[in-house]
Amino acid sequence: MSFEHVFSLTVSGVTVGMIYALIALGYTMVYGVLQLINFAHGEVFTVGGYIAASTLIWIGVDASTPLWVKLGYFALALVVSVVVTATLGWLIERVAYRPLRGRSRIIPLLSAIGVSIFLQNLLIVIFGPEPIIMPTAIVPAGFVNVFGARVRILQIIVIAVSLLLMALLTWIVKGTRIGKAMRATSQDREAAEMMGIETNRTISFTFVIGSALAAIGGFIVAMYYGSLQFDTGFLYGLKAFTAAVLGGIGNIPGAVVGSLILGLAENWGVGLTLGLLAWLFVVGLALGLYIQMVHAPRRRIDHIADEFRTPEYEGRLKAVYRLAPVVAVKTLLSERTDALVHVSARHAVQLMAGNLVLFAFAVVFFMNGDVQFSSKWQHVISFAVLMAILMFRPSGILGENIQEKV
Amino acid sequence: MAGTFRRVADVFGRIPRWVYIVAALVLAIVFPMLEQAGLMQTLWLRLGTRTLVYVLLAVGLNLVLGETGLLHLGYVAFFAVGAYSTAILSSPRLGIHWNFWVIIVIATVLAMLFGFVIGMPTLRLRGDYLAIVTLAFGEITRMTFNNWESVTNGPGGIPGIFPPNLFGWVVDKPAEFFYLLLASVVLVVWLLNNLKKSRVGRAWNALREDEIASHHSGVRPTQVKMLAVVLSSGIAGLAGAIFAYYQQFINPTYFLFMQSTIVVCMVVLGGMGSIPGAIVGAVVLDATPEIIRQAFTQWLPDALGSDFLPGVQTALQTDFDRYRMLIFGLVIVLMVIFRPEGLLPDQLWRREVHDEDPRDQEHTRQHLFDFEEGEKDLEV
Repeated sequence: MSFEHVFSLTVSGVTVGMIYALIALGYTMVYGVLQLINFAHGEVFTVGGYIAASTLIWIGVDASTPLWVKLGYFALALVVSVVVTATLGWLIERVAYRPLRGRSRIIPLLSAIGVSIFLQNLLIVIFGPEPIIMPTAIVPAGFVNVFGARVRILQIIVIAVSLLLMALLTWIVKGTRIGKAMRATSQDREAAEMMGIETNRTISFTFVIGSALAAIGGFIVAMYYGSLQFDTGFLYGLKAFTAAVLGGIGNIPGAVVGSLILGLAENWGVGLTLGLLAWLFVVGLALGLYIQMVHAPRRRIDHIADEFRTPEYEGRLKAVYRLAPVVAVKTLLSERTDALVHVSARHAVQLMAGNLVLFAFAVVFFMNGDVQFSSKWQHVISFAVLMAILMFRPSGILGENIQEKV
Repeated sequence: MAGTFRRVADVFGRIPRWVYIVAALVLAIVFPMLEQAGLMQTLWLRLGTRTLVYVLLAVGLNLVLGETGLLHLGYVAFFAVGAYSTAILSSPRLGIHWNFWVIIVIATVLAMLFGFVIGMPTLRLRGDYLAIVTLAFGEITRMTFNNWESVTNGPGGIPGIFPPNLFGWVVDKPAEFFYLLLASVVLVVWLLNNLKKSRVGRAWNALREDEIASHHSGVRPTQVKMLAVVLSSGIAGLAGAIFAYYQQFINPTYFLFMQSTIVVCMVVLGGMGSIPGAIVGAVVLDATPEIIRQAFTQWLPDALGSDFLPGVQTALQTDFDRYRMLIFGLVIVLMVIFRPEGLLPDQLWRREVHDEDPRDQEHTRQHLFDFEEGEKDLEV
């Protein structure tokens, strides 16, 4: 378990995380403006990759093509795939979601799943069930040495391009008129409409931007792994959605943070021995204990109105958190006299349970220090992350960015 | 055209409900006898048995998707849990051969337990999270069965599941399985129909229509939703157990995500929240593609000569599944846009999706006028 190994795992984790982020941004933006999980987004991503790859196959690139011509073809494929996919995103919204606006919540979700099935099988009908192979000549080969680890040039390009796109997106959302309209629409659609914002156009624009990002993601995945299959987008979409929830759905920086965490978790999870992974649980445990012992009681105390904030009461709340097994459980079992103490006791017991789980994981992992997860369990990791985040902090790491209207 | 359709529908609507139920039961009971009498190929009996498995699944999913209004996209995972627990506990794989009744109970309870585990973190949250978690759970379950080779034999699957023994009656012929499944369908439908009319059933429907209002009327959303999820998981587990016995061999490819979406499609087509709708949806979507395939590859060429539309024949033989799923996807989208209440709608759901005032409907008005007192007050 050398440093180079850990470093190259980290680089591939960041690369995969960036790809997830490109897809997760589409989910999170659509969720922001419509409160809809766009299940078809994963398929839009696959379509983007397929269009790019088939354009390059159709042009016919081989090793003898000079570099600048290759770059031209590359740009052409990118433009074609982005245009086609953005149109597809627009069309999906127009045909499958817009007529259903204002219906009960489950109806657009059903429509989304229908679109997703339709697109996936359309890809099979058109391209066949075999994976589409990216022409290898277009993919930058070559490695560079960073800190003694071999890093693919493509990985560096992917990270750079993704960062650039995210900067561009930030500029669009924060610095342009349409971005302002997007933010307004996601805060309150009716109010935005009354202020003269064309919400329909804004929503269409959100779909177009999200789909374009997904198309670039699809292109990158096709280059990175060399091929793409009709159901690739399903798994990627699922993981990108997990990443979006992890960071806080509707929250644009959250999608990027969540994606990076998920990418790293997947690569470290199957690349490192359990002894090294245990340290992550130790860090998590330290964080959890900090929350339980310091952060949570302080926040509870902040909520008490000044005239009731006596030292004894503060001491009682702190004791509930710090001596959770004794005081909190006793409070929970006793008669319900003080709502705040009772709620705090329940919270304290939950936090303690979480910390115990982390501790148990750390101990088990340390005891089997040199075992390693087989890579076939990689997908299970993101599911475990999803369940854990929904269990303990459903609003995500950076918090949700939507106002739930009643 | 639409008027004629409505008039025909009206005529059929006036026939009392028990006539339909008896007719369907008689049809179902006679169906395997046709094969016994040599009037029908075994192929069709096998199709009928598969359809009954789908009926069981659709009725179970309807509980979550239709009655409670929660999108559940990993239903096949619970089916898989039931099927695998049966296969492990009653096959030469680990050399265990437990009693049928014990296994049925274990499969059902285990599936319920998984439903509970999935529901615990998600049902407190907005409904969409259940969709994505169940979707992920469906995939993870399949991958786990695929990777956990020491128990499930991985992609190879588990062959040679022993036939069930019901108090000395060994069930091993398709017709016998058909009756076994029919009995379970009747039992489950009877149970769910009673539940639907009970306090719990009204709570489910209330939650579907307005969670906040029903919460304030004393419905506990998390517990009531949990009951629906756990019950429907149990039904899937039961279906899985019988399916495993019937198939005698299972492997992870029986439990693809596609299967879950097919069941969703059946419920949407038939009419969400309507038990007869779920049954009809399952029968239509499972049987029609097969009939079309048979028609174009067997009957029409036999009748009109083998050169009848050879392109269509080869397409149906090789790419049938893709076109089928393509059309299923389209069916879902078109149904939710143009006829969200489904083929055989549930009254409550129809009103909900069309924003109808119940007082505007003729039969409701008739019903209101049946009360002699206060006739004037009810005039709208």
